[in-house]
Amino acid sequence: MNDTTELTRKDETAMTRREDDSSPRRITLTPPVDIFEDSQGVTLWADLPGVTKDRLDVKVHDGNLFIEAEAAVSTPAGLRLQHAEVRQPHFARAFSLGGDLDASKIDASLKDGVLKLTIPRRDEARPRRIEVRTD
Amino acid sequence: MSDLFFGTDLFSEFDRLQRQMANAFGGFPSSIRSGRSGAFPQVNIGSTDDSIEIVAFAPGVDPKSFDVSIDKGLLNISGERGTARPEAAGDDTRTYAQERFAGAFRRVIELPDHADPDKVTAQYINGCLIVSIGKREMSKPRAITVQ
Repeated sequence: MNDTTELTRKDETAMTRREDDSSPRRITLTPPVDIFEDSQGVTLWADLPGVTKDRLDVKVHDGNLFIEAEAAVSTPAGLRLQHAEVRQPHFARAFSLGGDLDASKIDASLKDGVLKLTIPRRDEARPRRIEVRTD
Repeated sequence: MSDLFFGTDLFSEFDRLQRQMANAFGGFPSSIRSGRSGAFPQVNIGSTDDSIEIVAFAPGVDPKSFDVSIDKGLLNISGERGTARPEAAGDDTRTYAQERFAGAFRRVIELPDHADPDKVTAQYINGCLIVSIGKREMSKPRAITVQ
């Protein structure tokens, strides 16, 4: 087994390769997600098989949440692919966050290729009971 | 250099689309055991001179729940993945998306005759189940000396 990161390296000899393969508009997979919300905030689960922590990028920009990741599977040298249902190692998905969510307190954990994000609600946006006074 | 994934070239994408269309209309026979496309877990299969490598993309599965077996030339991968929805979900838990697979799964892969069921290893790494099956000695490539 070699731990090469070259799983996705392009084969320059293939005749059908296009020169702009390395352009940023590469084809990405959309990972399936589960999204739940309770009074504390939103929890998001995403399937990212083969992704390690250092190849996962979760960022918030202008109120949008971006998840980008790359899978790396260690395989023996000289592997010839015969059947592929997963044809891309790149995952990407984006969500817009409502203003009631606190993007600065997002907690992310990755286990067995599943990303769990917890996005808390802002304190002032949490439900609270309002006392009704009777005079 | 190993290449577990295909490149992004447009021609192979068209080719794949065409095959999927052909499959959808029943023109092109697929394995009777392969099920519909998009089944969980997705599987990539490759081979080297010494082994057959099968990668099942099965994130979030408890390794103990996997059942991997070989019987009569069939590799069987089964198991179960629980739902991410919290157990104690009350009425105030709202579900916005439930796209991830949950429940029992099974994939069966037909192995070639030269697969050796006595030389199998399986590892679960980062949500990928990697099954490596050795090839029988007689099927390995060898150079023949010309006298």
